[in-house]
Amino acid sequence: MLMESSPYGIEKKKLGMWVFIISDACTFAAFLFAYGYMRVGAPVWGTPFEFSSILNGMLMTAVLLSSSLTMLAAVRAAQAGTKASANKWLGVTMLLGAIFAALHLREWFKLIGEGWRLFYNPTGGAAQFGATFFSVTGLHLTHVVTGVIALGFIARGYNQGRYDESHVETAGLYWHFVDLVWMFVFPLMYLMNAQ
Amino acid sequence: MSTTRQLAMSSYVGIGVGLMVIVCIEVILTYQHLPTRTLLFSLLCLASLEGFVAIMYLMQVKYERPILFWTIFPVTLFVLIFLNYLWPDAFRMFNMRLLQ
Amino acid sequence: MEPMSAHAATHHAPPQGFIRKYVFSVDHKIIGIQYTTLSLVAAFIGMALSWAMRIHLGWPDAHIPLLSMFSPNGAPGGLMTPEYYLSLMTMHGTIMAFFVLTAAPMAGFGNFMLPIQVGAADMAFPRLNMASFWVTFVGFVLACATFFIPDGPPLSGWTAYAPLSAVGTVAGPGQGWGQNFWGLSIAVFCVASLLGALNFIVTTLDLRTKGMTLSRLPLSTWAWFINAWVSLLAFAVLLPTCLLLVLDRLGGTSFFIPAGLVINDQLQPHSGGSPLLFQHLFWFFGHPEVYIIILPAFGIVSHILPTFIRKPLVGGWKAITYAMIAVGTLSFVVWGHHMFVSGMSPFMAMVFSVPTLFITIPSVIAVLIWTFSLYRANMRFDTPMLFSLGFISLFISGGIGGFFLAQPSTDSYLHATSFVVGHFHFTMGLSAIFAAFAGFYYWFPKMWGRMMNETLGKVHFWLSFVLVYCVFMTMHLTGFAGAVRRYSAFVDDFMVPLIPTQRFISVAALLLGAAQFIFLFNAIWSRFQGPKAPDNPWGATTLEWDTTSPPPFDNFGGRQITVYHGPMEYDGEASVMQTSPEVSVAGT
Repeated sequence: MLMESSPYGIEKKKLGMWVFIISDACTFAAFLFAYGYMRVGAPVWGTPFEFSSILNGMLMTAVLLSSSLTMLAAVRAAQAGTKASANKWLGVTMLLGAIFAALHLREWFKLIGEGWRLFYNPTGGAAQFGATFFSVTGLHLTHVVTGVIALGFIARGYNQGRYDESHVETAGLYWHFVDLVWMFVFPLMYLMNAQ
Repeated sequence: MSTTRQLAMSSYVGIGVGLMVIVCIEVILTYQHLPTRTLLFSLLCLASLEGFVAIMYLMQVKYERPILFWTIFPVTLFVLIFLNYLWPDAFRMFNMRLLQ
Repeated sequence: MEPMSAHAATHHAPPQGFIRKYVFSVDHKIIGIQYTTLSLVAAFIGMALSWAMRIHLGWPDAHIPLLSMFSPNGAPGGLMTPEYYLSLMTMHGTIMAFFVLTAAPMAGFGNFMLPIQVGAADMAFPRLNMASFWVTFVGFVLACATFFIPDGPPLSGWTAYAPLSAVGTVAGPGQGWGQNFWGLSIAVFCVASLLGALNFIVTTLDLRTKGMTLSRLPLSTWAWFINAWVSLLAFAVLLPTCLLLVLDRLGGTSFFIPAGLVINDQLQPHSGGSPLLFQHLFWFFGHPEVYIIILPAFGIVSHILPTFIRKPLVGGWKAITYAMIAVGTLSFVVWGHHMFVSGMSPFMAMVFSVPTLFITIPSVIAVLIWTFSLYRANMRFDTPMLFSLGFISLFISGGIGGFFLAQPSTDSYLHATSFVVGHFHFTMGLSAIFAAFAGFYYWFPKMWGRMMNETLGKVHFWLSFVLVYCVFMTMHLTGFAGAVRRYSAFVDDFMVPLIPTQRFISVAALLLGAAQFIFLFNAIWSRFQGPKAPDNPWGATTLEWDTTSPPPFDNFGGRQITVYHGPMEYDGEASVMQTSPEVSVAGT
């Protein structure tokens, strides 16, 4: 069958990914609104993050932002047809994603070590801090880990020739979206809770 | 598609650096001991700016057909705007809470 | 612009082997049939639950023999406990709202018909499509499994209001694992609906065949497309709501549980949450959900009517489509009218009341389009047409009740009465079911290649139509009289005088259920013994009637489809296929 141009003019995988991103953005938004609702309603909230945690957060932001740039490089390399280069950048992106997850887990374990739980606030403020922080960042972390695994599959398929540059580009959209969400999670969950 | 109209990679690195600068501004603002509302408002504005740049350049909506922009933005903003209907009850919860 | 491979991926070879062909099939037609069958099974389960409830409401001392075998704790000796009544009600609502009304008109008929109506060989993402059905199936199994776990199904209603749904076993039987299963089942259903909506949107936008502009889309495709957007946004908010509810139950958080809550003399170890937050998030999904249910019904009826009145709808494709878009958009800004008596900010009650009255405008426009289109029409009264007319009648009758409920002052009185039950069963329950029946009778020849029996269809329609009014119009009246909804029986209070009326409703409901077996028999018998269906038995014009019954694996047998007309090219007996290059007969 002849290759035919789509009447809408946007390739279907790309459009599908965008539609998914819209719904996922609404899901994150609902989580963040629940956080805001809890916080507005709480008589004492408490702000647990020392400057070291904020620095850690900035480092995580820098890592995730760089990974977006390396993802962009991978997409461009794939579009230019340089397979080796695309693979290299995909690998770097996955590595940065893994570093982000590791830094994030370090933050989590530090908080858990200090006694923070989903239902307990060791400083005596609202118990909702743990609930909202762990659920919002947990959802984001799930997205990052899923993204790293998905990129692995895409890279393997791309190597074997089952996938082409459009698959890399679609995966890239998802990865940038994870970065985009972090741009809201970082100020709202970290900076608004800085001591 | 339309790879021809994209920026050079160095420009994207510049965009990345710019985004990081915004993050630094956010952190500096955090330590200015602003009232919570002012801080929240400024952080949300800066984050929205970051988000817009990320969508237009990193996610390349700027280089797609305009119809894509007009498909995704209105519906997402629509949900984000109307979820705000729940704030009056959040404030009521603060004012009407059980005193211990 | 580079050429794009929009159609390339959909051309997979026909599968071989039973499993690939009929079970884990990526063919949208099989998936549509799977969804339809799942909904049929779910509908009969939901109906059986309503039978048990109606028997108990009419005869509170009655022992229902099978029920004691089913649940020895919930119905000892066949006499159901008030808690078990609530469990049945919860599962009736859950199964009907999610697995019947959301699944059948959209996922069932939509999956089968939408790709054919736009001239595509399959959905945009066939494997995602298969995943969405099987994820729905898992959700359905989880929901049904609650009947077989020791403490039974949850009793917090299909809305699962917190804190009752969030505190755990202390709130009553079924609030332990039953409610956990419910939360997981609905979360899983959300994922399936999101995948389905994504597929519908991309298919409609990207896979339209040559000449199939948006203005030439059949109205059913328009409705499914608009509905896909509504469900995409609504289910995206229900998913986190379910996750937060499950976190409250299993993770010990207090999103939805306030401080100082005492249930069954036990102080709950929670603080700082808000049940209103749950209601807001739930109804942010929940109100669009009722339009998710009714919009495909709008589409199906608008698709069927022109065929049987042999002329275009008044206002062409634009008026009805814009009305549907307006309904879908406004559905997101009215959710607070479910919460007038919840303790919500009174200011917000007004903010929600005004758009609620506004949303009647596009709904009324749609109704007027259908009724005015009947004027001076040369109507054919085949069964699909009868059910379409039945849909219009039920939607109007139910919609009038909406005026009472949209205003906080009258709603305060009517809110927790059976008036509401009658109202939503008319508008979203039975209206959507009638439209689904219309679609079933209309598309049965295409889906299974055989005709259904017309006489049985007409008997089914008239019995259903009359009995539906007997059941739900009477419920409006008992609601005015003060019959509280969710009460398992009215044995020793001011509502005793209503018991004869309750018995009338119960008898009518039992008969209404029995009438559905005529349909079931007709469907099964016609599936195997009905006369072979021609390609275009109704003289319709859209693409699904331009292929064999049932369609071949790639829908058009390799033909290149080009579209020249809109879907409403009717002028009396004359009609022009969308694919026919002849001149327009309807002047559209």
